[in-house]
Amino acid sequence: MQTTPWQPKPGDRVFRPRRIKRFRLRRVLGIPAVFSAGYGNVGSSIYYALGIVALVAMGATPVALGIAGILFIFTALTYAEGTAALPEAGGSASFARHGFNDLIGFIAGWALMLSYIVTISISAFTIPPYLGFFWEPLKDSAAIGTLTSMGIVFFLMLLNVIGIKETSLVNISAAVLHLTTHISLVVIGFVLVFNPKVLLSRIFDNWPAPQNLIIGIALAAIAYTGIETVSQMAEETRKPEQKVPRALVMMIVAVLVVFAGISLVSLSVMTPQELASDWSRDPVAGIAANLPLVLLRDVLKPLIAILAGAILLIATNAGLIGISRLAFSLGNHRLVPPVLSRIHPRFKTPYISIILFSVVAILILLPGFFEANVFENMGALYAVGSLLAFMFAHASIISLRLRRPDLPRPFKLGGNIRVKERELPLTAILGLCALTVIWVIILITQPYSRWVGLAWMVVGVIIYYFYRKREKLPFLEAPEGQASQ
Amino acid sequence: MEFHKVLVPVTGSEADVEALRLAIRLAKKEKGKVWSVYVITIKRALPLDAEIKPEIEKADGIMDKMESIAEEEEEYEVDTDILQARDAGPAIIDEAVERGVDLILMGVKYKKRFGQFSLGSVVPYVLKNSPCPVILYHQ
Repeated sequence: MQTTPWQPKPGDRVFRPRRIKRFRLRRVLGIPAVFSAGYGNVGSSIYYALGIVALVAMGATPVALGIAGILFIFTALTYAEGTAALPEAGGSASFARHGFNDLIGFIAGWALMLSYIVTISISAFTIPPYLGFFWEPLKDSAAIGTLTSMGIVFFLMLLNVIGIKETSLVNISAAVLHLTTHISLVVIGFVLVFNPKVLLSRIFDNWPAPQNLIIGIALAAIAYTGIETVSQMAEETRKPEQKVPRALVMMIVAVLVVFAGISLVSLSVMTPQELASDWSRDPVAGIAANLPLVLLRDVLKPLIAILAGAILLIATNAGLIGISRLAFSLGNHRLVPPVLSRIHPRFKTPYISIILFSVVAILILLPGFFEANVFENMGALYAVGSLLAFMFAHASIISLRLRRPDLPRPFKLGGNIRVKERELPLTAILGLCALTVIWVIILITQPYSRWVGLAWMVVGVIIYYFYRKREKLPFLEAPEGQASQ
Repeated sequence: MEFHKVLVPVTGSEADVEALRLAIRLAKKEKGKVWSVYVITIKRALPLDAEIKPEIEKADGIMDKMESIAEEEEEYEVDTDILQARDAGPAIIDEAVERGVDLILMGVKYKKRFGQFSLGSVVPYVLKNSPCPVILYHQ
């Protein structure tokens, strides 16, 4: 018998949300658990986001990450209001379904799916370069690297179809590893190599063209992928209306501080050209390899290789889990065909959606065999999906303020402007406008992401149209309970 | 020792029936109450509120059996509940904490893993984290 009171551990993710007979929800996650999961997800993106941004933004990489960080704050605040008011899985897809209608909810969800798939591809694509410390062809050979990435996605697909148990230790360890590694790197970097003069000269001597800076800001959005994860966890959180916004605010602070620190340290230890060429796919390994003390380099290089490999593997898996849950949620609301929600009779997993989206992620990796700028393309494709989902999140929060002013909002954004007796949040309006401009610029300037992204969206709307028609459901169905409003 | 509130987590094994009978006898002495719970574990690739019909039907069948055994054989009314969770162990402990039970009584099957007798992962978790005494009934 335990003498001290039992507490669910952060990352335990062991919940009892639903009593089927009584239909009573019970949630046990607290702020630390939600923060751990969110930071674990966002934190992994620094292992590749820094390099992707540097490819286009060069010296202005910290600036691009900083401006994207401001937009990240606006978006996180929007998610805080939305999740507190509507604590259910689905994130922006859920906000859009409530704020507009089923079609918009589907479009937001389908865009979100694209960003999840590309997250899987990018995370898997960056594992081999980090492991290249142990066997160089993993970093130097495009064919071996890409094949390994595909193998990783395939392996995780099999694991998720079977549905192995992920222990709480993995979750806790991942979050602790992230924070420890990041903070250590920032502290070591600032103590040993930080020199404001060198840093400023590297930034201003390598300042990019305005167009590249804007694309860099858009690509920097990839560093902030975890907002959706926190939102998805709302349905598993105790008092989500209070705790999710707090966890989001904590995550904003931690992520901005750590990302700012790492981006400044990276440009202190190497030039933007080195960051954008030799270390674009494994920028954190680049920091470790360029530290001035030999002893530190010898210790940190293999350590970063192992840590980054493990963390990115967990992030790839998290993407696969995230998209499966999202597909199931969309299926439950009859936004996608029920085949995506079909559960394997033996393994009890949504095997069709896991296999389908893994195959799409593997297809996205295909250009890795022969294209030089595949990494940048993947980043831009991610931006097309995620920015669209974030835009819908902002628009839905504004729409909900207009259409459902009396909806209980335990966390309500401040700084409102009054329009026709309705309070509209300024941060959501600014976020929506800025993201729309960036999204349009990405579409105009990035042909790969334009055509692949738009093709994905068009195929999605066609599937939605025929599915709704076959089920004799209206194309634009208002959410339940809102028809009369 | 007095047991006013007893929790019996079940999995559908024969040992569960005996564990429930024992729990009822202990509770009857103190005019106490018995709760029986079945935990459906949901894989991480699914939302926690995913309704998996075959699993729910199986759980319903097990809880109906528990209720009928309690009523017909022991003339006692047992409260039953079906929970969904990522892992069974913490769900059982969470239930025990919320209900403020005095005892957790679990039936244990004879299982072998790699040729050795094994308690699995749920029972050790409950033994380690329980806020109250735990009795294992091994058939």
